[in-house]
Amino acid sequence: MKIVESQSAVLSNFEVYQHLTEQRDRYKKAKRRGPPNLETVVRELLQYMRTHPGPLSQDPLPYSRGCISKLLARLRPYNLAKGEVVMLLNLRPASVAALNTVVEDMAERFNEEQQEAIVTAIADVLGQFPAAEAQEDGEAAGDVDMDDTTAA
Amino acid sequence: MFILTKISDLVQVAPEDFAKRSIDAIEDNINAKYSNKVIQKIGLCICLYDILWTSEGLIGHGTGLVNINVEFRLVVFRPFKGEVMLGRIRSSTPAGVNLRTDFFDDIFVPFEELPEGAEYNHGEQLWIWNFDEERLFYDNHEMVRFQVVDEEWHDQAPAGPSQADDAPPKTPYRIRASMAAEGLGVCLWWDGA
Repeated sequence: MKIVESQSAVLSNFEVYQHLTEQRDRYKKAKRRGPPNLETVVRELLQYMRTHPGPLSQDPLPYSRGCISKLLARLRPYNLAKGEVVMLLNLRPASVAALNTVVEDMAERFNEEQQEAIVTAIADVLGQFPAAEAQEDGEAAGDVDMDDTTAA
Repeated sequence: MFILTKISDLVQVAPEDFAKRSIDAIEDNINAKYSNKVIQKIGLCICLYDILWTSEGLIGHGTGLVNINVEFRLVVFRPFKGEVMLGRIRSSTPAGVNLRTDFFDDIFVPFEELPEGAEYNHGEQLWIWNFDEERLFYDNHEMVRFQVVDEEWHDQAPAGPSQADDAPPKTPYRIRASMAAEGLGVCLWWDGA
């Protein structure tokens, strides 16, 4: 065994996820199984990625093939480091507070407007969990119904 | 969190695998050798990513094995220093908190990397963060955000006859993490607000 290049590229979770699911489909079609150690690690890794706070747990998948380049184009003016963008893709921070853990020295590098703009850019391109809003909507709808019935 | 590593290696296909297509035989061979294993200073190998080049297969003298030189890329788990990731609390000791992900178990947060005001509760065997009169618990199985600070490598290759038989094997790759910064720690504390 010879290591030719210890790090030839960095992958985001989504790219790994895609590779693994494609591999699974290919194996299924050919009706064959990989070695047991491969099956174990792939199963555990997919389980990890599909756990709740991770964006890949959302169904349907919020990411698509073109979304990485789209996000890069949107974030170009802010001069984020490559590592920071990879983390943005992996964690998809939904608020300024969450963004703070990912972006180093955020308060010094960006003013509040820029921070907000980054968060909206992420939500636009990568989507977000609908949970909180949907619940409020549901309650609001319920309220309307109640009003309707009392009015009627 | 994941990188690609380019490796060149000799793949030996056994005669019972001749029924498979060559490309499948090579893939299975590489995955069987590398998947779910740690290479020192590289990381935890996940699986084959793609095959870049292969030589002709040559049958050696005396065995029926087909020898093929292959150059390929592997998907490897190797978070960089400063990366923020998600994980679960596995257990707590006075020395710190042990974390895990579903596929990787050796992540450790030493007590000095917990936020100020954290104390260990010996009765409950867990860490508690006292924050503004509030007591926040680092419960087991809780989802947390952590930042990678450092990594430790222990080569498990045998050291020869001088090695004591009963020395417990050290984990080959261990990540030291921090949960001190704002936004790190149990996800519920930050996402709920």
